[in-house]
Amino acid sequence: MRLERLLALIERLEDATLVLLMAVLVALAGAQIVLRNLFDSGLVWADPTVRVLVLWVALLGAMAAARQGRHITVDLVARALPARLAAPVRALTDLFAAGVCGVLAWHAARLVAMEWSAGTVAFAGLPAWIAQLIVPVGFAVIGLRYLALAPRRFTVGAGADAGASR
Amino acid sequence: MTVAFGLLLAALLGAPLFAVIAAAALWGFYASDIDPSAVAIEFYRLAEMPVLLAIPLFTLAGYLLGESRAPDRLVGLTRAFLGWMPGGLALVTLVACALFTAFTGASGVTIVALGALLYPALRQGGYGERFSLGLVTTSGSLGLLFAPSLPLILYGIVAQQLGVGRSITLDELFLAGLLPGLLMVALLAGYSMWTNRTQPLTPFTWREAKAALRAARWELPLPVVVLGGIYGGYFAVSEAAAATVLYVLAIEVLVHREIPLRALPRIVREAATMVGGVLVILGVSLASTNYLIDQQVPARLLEAVRSVVSSPLTFLLLLNGLLLLLGMMLDIFAALVIVVPLLLPMAVGYGIDPLHLGIVFLANMQLGYFTPPVGMNLFIASFRFGKDVAELVRASLPFFVVLLVAVLVITYWPALSLALAGR
Repeated sequence: MRLERLLALIERLEDATLVLLMAVLVALAGAQIVLRNLFDSGLVWADPTVRVLVLWVALLGAMAAARQGRHITVDLVARALPARLAAPVRALTDLFAAGVCGVLAWHAARLVAMEWSAGTVAFAGLPAWIAQLIVPVGFAVIGLRYLALAPRRFTVGAGADAGASR
Repeated sequence: MTVAFGLLLAALLGAPLFAVIAAAALWGFYASDIDPSAVAIEFYRLAEMPVLLAIPLFTLAGYLLGESRAPDRLVGLTRAFLGWMPGGLALVTLVACALFTAFTGASGVTIVALGALLYPALRQGGYGERFSLGLVTTSGSLGLLFAPSLPLILYGIVAQQLGVGRSITLDELFLAGLLPGLLMVALLAGYSMWTNRTQPLTPFTWREAKAALRAARWELPLPVVVLGGIYGGYFAVSEAAAATVLYVLAIEVLVHREIPLRALPRIVREAATMVGGVLVILGVSLASTNYLIDQQVPARLLEAVRSVVSSPLTFLLLLNGLLLLLGMMLDIFAALVIVVPLLLPMAVGYGIDPLHLGIVFLANMQLGYFTPPVGMNLFIASFRFGKDVAELVRASLPFFVVLLVAVLVITYWPALSLALAGR
């Protein structure tokens, strides 16, 4: 039970971050239009910040999509499978996704570590490794979520059709 | 070869596509002795494309519009102005759906948001059940070719990243989609008017028109400003997206008060889920595409196809078949990101303009949405209206034939796509 509460807390934290970043994204993009068109100026750091925010929003969104296994798939075959086969096949593809995400997160983490030790600056004094941090974190979380989905495919009820395509 | 086969199998069995592509890229780099962290470097390029900003912003605007009662007002408005014509309600369906899809991009949303309003209205207005079902299912993907639809933007982004053939801008792409999109609407409208020519007409009344205009007065400036701004060249696409989302937020949350503030986090999350799903595929595809180009796969593919197919016309014919098949199986965003990097170099090799290829690609994908027997919209409509998929297949077949004609015209008459963009 305590694990479930922890997971719920993490999800709410993610949601809050996501909403905050999206709000900043919209506000910055809007401010740039006003500044550019009315005052013929603009914030130098706004454009690169907006681009990094897009990356963060995308990965936070991808993490949210992984909660119910709602990433884009080809569901042609899976839909036609008999119920008895569907659960193990779904569990298998979940494990595949989890494995790939793990490898990806590992290599992304290596990149972040390299940037950290090289002290690369992304823009306006922001270290590159901070901007990139969401890539390993994001894929690690997505991987863990698919790992957790796999056994739930076998339980009847809430989890059984958790991977129903959108 | 075994790895490629295994990955294909994983994709067919329903593994998330981003994971399949990422695995391919990781394996590819590993096998050719390149540090696999190159995949992460390529993925990070998502943060280096300024136009990408348009995708989360337009998606959010679309989800907000879908949550409000803007669809009711859109239907009311088109009904007041087009409802008096023969086949009037059918025209209303076509125009309202095309506009809504252009602004919301992902086409399943249109059937769910507008179909629920239009299908009962059509039935009440005396239109046949089969005709109404077919029309609503078909209209669910209409409008993909009009600015600022997300698939159009995504094609532009992918093509710009590849940099093969003549360069294209998003503005040119928006112009290119205009006439082909109108052709689709016009052909469907003609067919609908002809099949419903015996329907009794409802007269046009100024009273109703005024009421509809009044109800929609806040949304009315939106298409004018966004489309006028983009087509007129006043706005960059990402600026138009920012203006749209701010304006939609203001009118639906503050003026109409149809979206309570506490619903915003959920809507933001839903929009971001969709954006994230598309962009992770784009991100990992940047890596796999880079690897494919490094291995000269597109060039070899072109050579192989050229040894069999000599004329551009035959190539286009085969392309139509292939794209129809893909459109049935693949999500449109996934198809764009995965297939365009392979197709574009080939098409350029046959002397096809990248702008034209984009329009042909999307037109085919639109058709793929309801190609029997497995087009996605058939299932969405079946779920939404509680009808058998087989019934929907029968119902949408005549519309399929009409749109197939449109797609063929678009494919073999490049000027239709290229004339407005001046090339």
